[in-house]
Amino acid sequence: MDNPGRRFATAAAFALLEHTRNRFALVLVVFYIPFWLTMEHWFVAGAPTGFLLRATGRHLTVDGNRLTMVSGAINAVTLIVGFMMFMTTFKSLAFDRRLVLAGYPRVCLLVAKVGAMLLAAALISAYATAVICWYWDPVRPWLLMAGVFTAGVGYGGIGILLGAFLRNELAGLFVIIMTSLLDTMLQNPISNPGATKGGVQALPEYGPTQVSVAAGFSGDTPYGHLMLGPAWFAAMWLLGTAAFRLRTRDHRPAAGRRPLSAAARP
Amino acid sequence: MSAPHAPPHALRVSGVHKSYGARRVLRGVSLALGPGTLAGVVGENGAGKTTLLRILCGQTAADSGAVEHRGRLGYCPQETVLNDFLTVEQHLRYFQVAYGLSSMRRAEELMEELHFSGYRQSRVAVLSGGTRQKLNLTLALMHDPQVLLLDEPYQGFDWETYLRFWSVAGRLRDRGCCVLVVSHLAWDADRLDALYRLHDGVAAPWRPGRGG
Repeated sequence: MDNPGRRFATAAAFALLEHTRNRFALVLVVFYIPFWLTMEHWFVAGAPTGFLLRATGRHLTVDGNRLTMVSGAINAVTLIVGFMMFMTTFKSLAFDRRLVLAGYPRVCLLVAKVGAMLLAAALISAYATAVICWYWDPVRPWLLMAGVFTAGVGYGGIGILLGAFLRNELAGLFVIIMTSLLDTMLQNPISNPGATKGGVQALPEYGPTQVSVAAGFSGDTPYGHLMLGPAWFAAMWLLGTAAFRLRTRDHRPAAGRRPLSAAARP
Repeated sequence: MSAPHAPPHALRVSGVHKSYGARRVLRGVSLALGPGTLAGVVGENGAGKTTLLRILCGQTAADSGAVEHRGRLGYCPQETVLNDFLTVEQHLRYFQVAYGLSSMRRAEELMEELHFSGYRQSRVAVLSGGTRQKLNLTLALMHDPQVLLLDEPYQGFDWETYLRFWSVAGRLRDRGCCVLVVSHLAWDADRLDALYRLHDGVAAPWRPGRGG
């Protein structure tokens, strides 16, 4: 009964189930993504737009409408995945603490949450990419999906961190929205075509945006930039894990902990 | 150190202190309970009952003092700590894995005893406050603990369920479990083997209606 595989499988199954039962997030995925991208397609002019693709060092001139849709897809996915991970971490923190005190290994719970997030982020990114492909043909749709996915994963990490630290739902949602807004405004090719200032590389959406734009309009593959989103995730997840560990600590003396689980039964 | 022939304690608390900033909530709580004891701790709102129980179960660190317990520990928090996205059955499965139990026999017995087997497939989010509390209690009891800490465990129960709770607690005591119930009321003093009053940060043996 102390099979680690069983513990992980149970935690992963329930983590996924939580996402599927988060109806607000599902409504956002199903309706908000196509609505947002359709609005951009409808309202934004397709005039040629020039910008510096820092990942390749080349100046590109592309259809402004399509560039806006790529940026919009990243923005929508980061908001949704960040929101999903914030809510699931925030809402289940007390419950997770109870599970940990009952003997559930923290690492199983944390890895299961990440596994569920990766799957959710992959599906949402595929869906957003499919909507873009409905309107026009990106040069490399799979790479575009990967770029959008890494953006979602980065914000998933931010959501986990906020969920573990903040004690107020509204504060978490506000921070995610404001971060995504600032991030998009400061580094993407629509609002900042030159992006010549150093430091933009440190923004969470920078790497994913570079990858997605390269995938949409060129044959280049900026492998290094593909890792920036996951790097953001790793940093946020480590901080979130530290917070989770701190908030689910067992303060009993070490000798008193063993009897909680049946493994220690006489 | 216990005397050589003293009965073994199931739960022993020695000189536990806890402050929140300048507010000294617990100022040296000490008590010892043997196996097969049904005990209560009463106190006014804000007396530190929940803080004491959280220290006993390891959720909160004491500033000083020691807590020892023998055997498996069960803790039922005052607020229902459940996951609204999951069903009753899924909660039981989650904790079955957490406790490392081979079967859910005890959980099923408790559901029958507390009369909520019919909600097994229901999402927790749609349950009434009383049924949520029954599940909250079942999660604390399903691994057959030897020391059980209950924080206002019957909040939201109707009269019948309240009586069933005491019948379950009595049977646990008869099986050798040490049960400590925290409440802000002393209505149930007659059902208890020992009663302590938490007052001015200290727990002292107490009998209702006799001052103190």
